[in-house]
Amino acid sequence: MLTLILQDAFFSAVAAVGFSAISRPPKVAFLCSAVTAAVGHSVRFWLMNPDFGPGLHIILATLIGSFVVGLLAVFLSPIAGIPAETTLFPSLLPMIPGIYAYKAFGGLAMCVLSKTQDIYNFYFYQFSFNGFMTLALLLCMAVGSTLPIFFFEKIAYQATRHRKAL
Amino acid sequence: MQMRKADNAAFRERATFLTDYACWLFGCGATCTRMEKNVARMAEVFGMHVEIYIMPRHLHLAISDLSGSETSTFIVTPRPTPINFAVNTQLSRLSWDVADGKYTFEQACDEFFRILTPRPERRLPLLLIVALANASFCRLFGGDAVAMLVVGVATLAGFWLKGELLSRKLDFRIVTFLCALVSSILGSTAILFDLGETAYVALATSVLYLVPGIPFLNSFSDFLGRHYICALSRFTDAVVMTCCLSAGLCVGMMLMKVGMF
Repeated sequence: MLTLILQDAFFSAVAAVGFSAISRPPKVAFLCSAVTAAVGHSVRFWLMNPDFGPGLHIILATLIGSFVVGLLAVFLSPIAGIPAETTLFPSLLPMIPGIYAYKAFGGLAMCVLSKTQDIYNFYFYQFSFNGFMTLALLLCMAVGSTLPIFFFEKIAYQATRHRKAL
Repeated sequence: MQMRKADNAAFRERATFLTDYACWLFGCGATCTRMEKNVARMAEVFGMHVEIYIMPRHLHLAISDLSGSETSTFIVTPRPTPINFAVNTQLSRLSWDVADGKYTFEQACDEFFRILTPRPERRLPLLLIVALANASFCRLFGGDAVAMLVVGVATLAGFWLKGELLSRKLDFRIVTFLCALVSSILGSTAILFDLGETAYVALATSVLYLVPGIPFLNSFSDFLGRHYICALSRFTDAVVMTCCLSAGLCVGMMLMKVGMF
């Protein structure tokens, strides 16, 4: 169990660091993103697992995982002297429902190309299910991760005030 | 009369600075809430009041001095710059330095231009780290070592192509389509040559580096901050990018005859 969770934490940290590099963060943000993503994603992984975790639905698990990410980002940002979003957004990237998103568009394209009602119904289901999942997951991620910023607004928006990160 | 002209000039200089600042902060991917807070913080120090109206492709700033004797409206188009958290961080720090009185207006302008001075990019390390990240993503979706290798190579090729095409000023939607096409063709080799046990995971994750994650998150963040128009505009941009990526993936799957979803 522990090996699986650690493995999930490690690969999410690598994914967060790599994808955050595209958005040119300050160097100190890499470490914060790695730690935050590792903790947040492994919490979600544990919550979703029916064997050694509570086996929650992906939506609820994502909401809780994002909240953990948000909390960590808010409290790590003043230490690193960077805005909370600089840690927050890259750390959430491993949870982005990318496959749901493009399966939704794939389903839509196939709806248009379908020749019989059965095939149309199947792909319309693909489109609507994946589309709704994408929207619901994104909303949960945004709500979960933004709540700590609202709760600790002063910390979140004054993170760059006293430290020189760059 | 002379003094009045000098006041006018000072007002315009500061107002222009605030407008440019807002423009760049918006362009480098800051949320609307952060932009409003940062600009208002500096405006207060300059003895000004700012109202910002954020439209999909324009920023509208109504700036007045606190006495109400000077009022100007600026409508600017943010330059299409890539998301840059380093600039976002430094601009946020600048706003606090101005608010805390560490910089005079002239020093703030100098610091602003220093922050915006482009720095050389090292493309090879970025290329490798993105490939590694997408391979890790493949692992998170249950891919085996072979699938990770295939995804790494597909990402290397696609991300390199993205850099080359964007440097030639090609439209980002066409770039996204072409990169997804190339990556999905390379990703589908795992299915065609029966490489590893999780070939379909390799194909599905080979294009994930193109998913506009930060624009999606920014749009929902703006939505929660009640900046509905800006949220919708950022969401639409992200959806268009996802459409282009899906189209590239579909065409790649059709060309390689590896089935459609």
